[in-house]
Amino acid sequence: MRKLRVTPAAVLLLLLAAIGFSPSAPAAVQEILVGELLPLTGNFASLGQQYLWAGQTAEDIVNNDYPGLQVPLGPGKGFPSLGGAALKLVVRDDQSRGDLARTLAEQLITVNKVVWLNGDGTSGNTSLLQPVVEGFGIPLSCHPCASPTLTDKGFKWFWRTGPNDRTMVASVFSFLKEWPDHGGPRDLKTIALFSCDNLFCQDNHKIATELATRDGYQIVASLTTKTGATTLASEVQRLQAANPDILFLVQYPPETTVFQADAKRAGWTPKVIATSNGAYYDQTWLVAQKATNGAAGWIGSDTTAIDLASQKTAWKQVNEIYKKYSHGQDMGELAMREITGLLWMADVINRAKSVDPAALARAAEETNMSPEQMIIDYKGVKFDKNHQNELATGVVTQVGWDDQKHTIWPWDLAKKAGYTMLHPNPSWAERDAKPKPR
Amino acid sequence: MTLVLQAVVNGLEMGLVYALVAVGLAIIWGLMEMINFAHGELLMLGMFGAWWLSTTLHLDPLLAIPPVALVMFGVGRLIYTLLMRRVQRGETFAQIFATIGLFFFLQNSAVAAFTSDYRFVQGGLLSRLSGVNLHLAGLSVGLPLLLAGALALVLFLALYLLVERTEFGLALQATSEDREAAMLVGIRPQRMFAVAWGLGAALVAVAGAILANFFAAYPQVGFPFTVLAYAIVALGGFGSILGTLLAALLVGVVQSVTVVYLPPAFKDAFVFASYILIGLLRPQGLFGKF
Repeated sequence: MRKLRVTPAAVLLLLLAAIGFSPSAPAAVQEILVGELLPLTGNFASLGQQYLWAGQTAEDIVNNDYPGLQVPLGPGKGFPSLGGAALKLVVRDDQSRGDLARTLAEQLITVNKVVWLNGDGTSGNTSLLQPVVEGFGIPLSCHPCASPTLTDKGFKWFWRTGPNDRTMVASVFSFLKEWPDHGGPRDLKTIALFSCDNLFCQDNHKIATELATRDGYQIVASLTTKTGATTLASEVQRLQAANPDILFLVQYPPETTVFQADAKRAGWTPKVIATSNGAYYDQTWLVAQKATNGAAGWIGSDTTAIDLASQKTAWKQVNEIYKKYSHGQDMGELAMREITGLLWMADVINRAKSVDPAALARAAEETNMSPEQMIIDYKGVKFDKNHQNELATGVVTQVGWDDQKHTIWPWDLAKKAGYTMLHPNPSWAERDAKPKPR
Repeated sequence: MTLVLQAVVNGLEMGLVYALVAVGLAIIWGLMEMINFAHGELLMLGMFGAWWLSTTLHLDPLLAIPPVALVMFGVGRLIYTLLMRRVQRGETFAQIFATIGLFFFLQNSAVAAFTSDYRFVQGGLLSRLSGVNLHLAGLSVGLPLLLAGALALVLFLALYLLVERTEFGLALQATSEDREAAMLVGIRPQRMFAVAWGLGAALVAVAGAILANFFAAYPQVGFPFTVLAYAIVALGGFGSILGTLLAALLVGVVQSVTVVYLPPAFKDAFVFASYILIGLLRPQGLFGKF
């Protein structure tokens, strides 16, 4: 009888086969690590906290089963194509500092081994992250960042689902131009531009200057101030002396509150206050205006007709999840942008069926998302050659006496919203006299 | 011309507010020569204190001043006893790092406790007067800031009398100038330092309670004021209460008038340029004693 000879190598092979191990196949992934770099403290903390709540909401949606929720990865738990692996956000606070953001980004990539980096939520700091991430070759996204330069540079690994400031500021100027034909005033001839001084602010300022000139407004003042101002009294004085019909204001929430206090002290309100991004997108700032009626009459660009979008079932469902993390605060426009972007990212990871950067980039480039899958009013998600979502759109809203935003442009959506605009901008005395919304 | 005069008036009003913010630092840094980078965070706590009392007990922020000052006096003493007394024995760097640590601790604790939301005080006397102006010779003077400024002047006067005309004030000055000599005449330096910290914290918290009428309270509100307060104390001269007041007024006016003629980005540049200029001509500051 022939004796069976069993070599050690054969034993090892049999054992490996028995436990289902294949050296060429990756181990089953339990968690997909995504770096979430946010300004949770420092100057931009009020923005950072909304991004954090938005991130927690997206993580909750991906990791838990919401059968009726019509957003990417709403129904089912985890990433189906990755064996149900969970999404785990590795959150770091960059203290609103670009230098720290760079260091933390390197740590997240090299130490925590994140497969995707999302952040930091402000254009200036994100522009510092871009070269770092390009060097490492993993995807970076910042959905609420609006500076056009972030995508204009043509970085290989940067993606943005949200609209840029060119789209947003253009919405405001389109509204102002078309307004007289829809019953608006015909006496708005002069404009003053007043903005903060970082990348996003300067981009807004530059675009507004170009559009104001194009549309024939006379620019009577053009001021830039640095962030962290304790008083803007003299700036207000100069603006007041210039007496513009329209004030185009781009400031962060702290400076906007200082501006409001100084404008009130000076008893000055221009006929129109138009804005884009900054405080106007910050739900925290908007909620705080209830105490003073401070935002009533302000006009600003938005990415979504929030008064109409909030009627949607999916929006309401996502808002309920968001409120679990936001101490009961409703989802604002910034949070909607961030959640939409993070759910797009989850969809990309799921379609890539891998966390390999090249596969992720391929899946991201192949994105063709329909508006039905979103809680925001984009016409979809589809990227141009610079990875800017070319279907992200802008609307224009006005804050009413109820401290809620109401859609006033485009005109078809404005008609649906059925809101009667406040014009001219209410005086401070009127704001004080009116009952404050709860 | 009216534009410039109005800017001067605005600057003086704001200068009085800055003076109130800086005077606490004038005690701790200027007089007792201890560094406190968490000064603005004590201001922030004062603002949150006033906001909290106005929200929960419907107390006017002006009436909230005594309880806020009392609590913050205790907080200041506690900071000295638990932290600064220990680091005081070491190098100046130890004080810098300890108070930077305190800065982050207080700011992040406020984020955890209150979130980064903006909080506004409603219904207080100064808030209700917001927008009310006195008109003098074509110039407009905001009444709420004027009242706040008057309050600041009263506090300054009281502090000046306390430091310059009382035995306690002399003991503070003696401790600052020569600790060993002060001990020989029966002064307990540790107690003096603790009281100075308590006083400094209480004063800046009072400034916070007043500022809560004009600014939103949020965890990061203090830092820009800290930067200005350091410039003001150094400009005014170490150890000089009157110098602090005049330097604050100067800073307010420089900030305000600069913007009338130049881009606003130059505003703080000119403040610090004034500081450098005065530092070159009078290194001890405008009214410094040493």
